[in-house]
Amino acid sequence: MKIFIMGFGAVGKGVVKVFSIKGNNLKQKYGLDFEIVAVTDTSGTALCDKGLDPDLLLNTKEKTGRVCDYPEYGIPGLSSPEALSKVEYDCLVEVTPTNIEDGEPAKTHMLKAMSDKKDVVTSNKGPLALCFKELVGTAKNNNVQFKFEASVGGAMPIINFAHENLSGCDIESIFGILNGTTNYILSRMAKEGSSYEQTLKEAQEMGIAETDPTQDVEGTDAACKIVILANSIMNMDVSLGDVEINGISKITPESIFLAKKEGYLIKLIAEASLDTLEVSPRLVKEGSPLSVEGTMNVATLKTDLAEDITVVGKGAGSVETASAILSDLISIWKSKK
Amino acid sequence: MRMNLVLELLDVPGQLVDALEPIGRLGANIVAVIHQRDVKTEQGTVPVQITIEGDKDTLNHVLSALEDENICIIAVDGVLRKERIMSILIGNIVDQDVKSTVDMLNALDGVNVADFNLKMSDYPKNSAARILIEAESGKRKEVLKKIKEVGKSKEFLVINEV
Ligand SMILES: NC(=O)c1ccc[n+]([C@@H]2O[C@H](COP(=O)([O-])OP(=O)(O)OC[C@H]3O[C@@H](n4cnc5c(N)ncnc54)[C@H](OP(=O)(O)O)[C@@H]3O)[C@@H](O)[C@H]2O)c1
Repeated sequence: MKIFIMGFGAVGKGVVKVFSIKGNNLKQKYGLDFEIVAVTDTSGTALCDKGLDPDLLLNTKEKTGRVCDYPEYGIPGLSSPEALSKVEYDCLVEVTPTNIEDGEPAKTHMLKAMSDKKDVVTSNKGPLALCFKELVGTAKNNNVQFKFEASVGGAMPIINFAHENLSGCDIESIFGILNGTTNYILSRMAKEGSSYEQTLKEAQEMGIAETDPTQDVEGTDAACKIVILANSIMNMDVSLGDVEINGISKITPESIFLAKKEGYLIKLIAEASLDTLEVSPRLVKEGSPLSVEGTMNVATLKTDLAEDITVVGKGAGSVETASAILSDLISIWKSKK
Repeated sequence: MRMNLVLELLDVPGQLVDALEPIGRLGANIVAVIHQRDVKTEQGTVPVQITIEGDKDTLNHVLSALEDENICIIAVDGVLRKERIMSILIGNIVDQDVKSTVDMLNALDGVNVADFNLKMSDYPKNSAARILIEAESGKRKEVLKKIKEVGKSKEFLVINEV
C-alpha cells in the first residue's frame, strides 16, 4: 500500500514512526506492506516511487526541519497540492494544520486525492467540521474510502467503534469530553482551587496548552469534534456554525467549590442529541463515567439497544493519534483484500 | 394496601415526629420507618423511608396531609415524585437581583427553588451561585431551558447538569 503523507508535524512524524516500529509486525501479521512514497511539509516534498526510509525521513526532519533535505529524493519548493500529481500512491494521509475558517489547504488536498481515485485518511478536523457532506459525497461519487477516526479523541476509538461494533444500534445522543487541554485545566482547578488564569499559564509552561489557547479554551476545538460525531454517527447534517459554544475561560474557583460541595465536577462537555448541539461547561457527578481527569478524553454514547456505552482514551499525542490513523489504513487495506 | 414513601426531612429533633403525626391521626398504620442519618445532604436533610398501611382513601389523605405540611415527598412506591435539579451560575449575581432570578424560576408550575448558595469572588462580576430546584418529575427539560433563558437575559454563564 503506497502512502502519501501531507504534513510532517507531530502527527505526520507519529505516522512515520509507527510505520518504522510496526513495519515488520504488520508484514507478518497481515502480509501488509506500507510504502511511504511521499512526504510534504512547507519546505517541499521528499518523493520516491520505490519508497522512502522512515528513519531517514525522521532524521532529516529532526536535523534541518525540512523534509526536502531528504538525500537524493528531496525536492525543495515542490508544494501541495502539485506534489499529489507527481507520484503514484494508493492513500493520502492528510495531517496538515486544522483551519476552521475555510478548511484549507486540507480540503483541496482531500478533494483532489478523491477525484484522482485515491483513498483518504485524515486527523484534520477543519474540513470535516465545515463541509462534511461535500467530502463524504465526493468520496462516495469517486468510489474511494474516506476515514477520519483520528480527528476526534485522538487515540480514543469512537467513530469506527460506533460504525462497526454498534452497527445494530441507533445512537440517540453523545456526551463527551473531547478536548484534553481544557479537561486538564479544569481538573487542576478542581484539585488545587487555583484560578483559571494561573492554571492556564502553568498548562502553557508544561506544553499542554498552546501559546494561543483560544480554540481549546473557548470550545471551538470540541465543537468541531462534536460536529464530526453528529454527522458521522448520528446522521445529522450540521456544521460548526450550528453549535452553541461556551468555553471555560469564565469558570471561577468559587463555582468549582460550590459544585464540589455537592459532589459535582465542572467539565467542558460536548453534547449532540435530538434537539441540542452544544459545547458548554456542565456539572458531572464525581465518580460517574464522564468524570475523567487530566488530559484524557471520554465519550458516552446512548444507544437504543445497548443503553450507555462509554469510551475513554488519550485525546492527543503524536504516536497516540498516529495509532488511529494506522487502524484506518489497516481497515482500508483489509476491505480491499 | 401498603405504600412505600421516601420523605426528605431536616435532621433536627422533632422533624420525624411531625412527619409521622398525620399518619396516625388519619388512621393509617406505620409498618416500618428507616431513618438514614448517615446520608446527609449539604442542606442538612436526610432521606427517611416509611411504609404505611391502610385503605386507598386513607393513604391518599395521608399524602395530601404531608404535602399540606410542606413535607418533601421524594418517592411513592419507588416512583420519583420530585426531581432535583442542580445548576451553577457565574456572573454579576447580586447586581442582577437575586430575588428576581429565583422568582423567574419559581414562576414555573410545579417548580420551586429549594436552596440558593451564593459565593462572592474578589470580582463581584464573577460571583457564583448554586441553585437547587425541586420540580415535579417530567419537568426537567423545561426547567433546564428556563435556567438557560434566565442566564442569557442576565448575562450569566449557566452550568447545568449533563
Ligand atoms: N497533535 C495531536 O495530538 C493531534 C490529535 C488529533 C488531531 N490532530 C490534527 O492533526 C493535524 C496535524 O496536527 P499536528 O499536531 O501534526 O500539526 P503540526 O505539528 O502543526 O504539523 C503540521 C504539519 O503540516 C505542514 N504543513 C503546513 N502547511 C502545509 C501545506 N500547505 N502543505 C503541506 N504541509 C503543510 C507543516 O509543515 P512544517 O513542518 O514545514 O511547518 C507541519 O509539518 C491537525 O489538523 C490537527 O488538528 C492533531
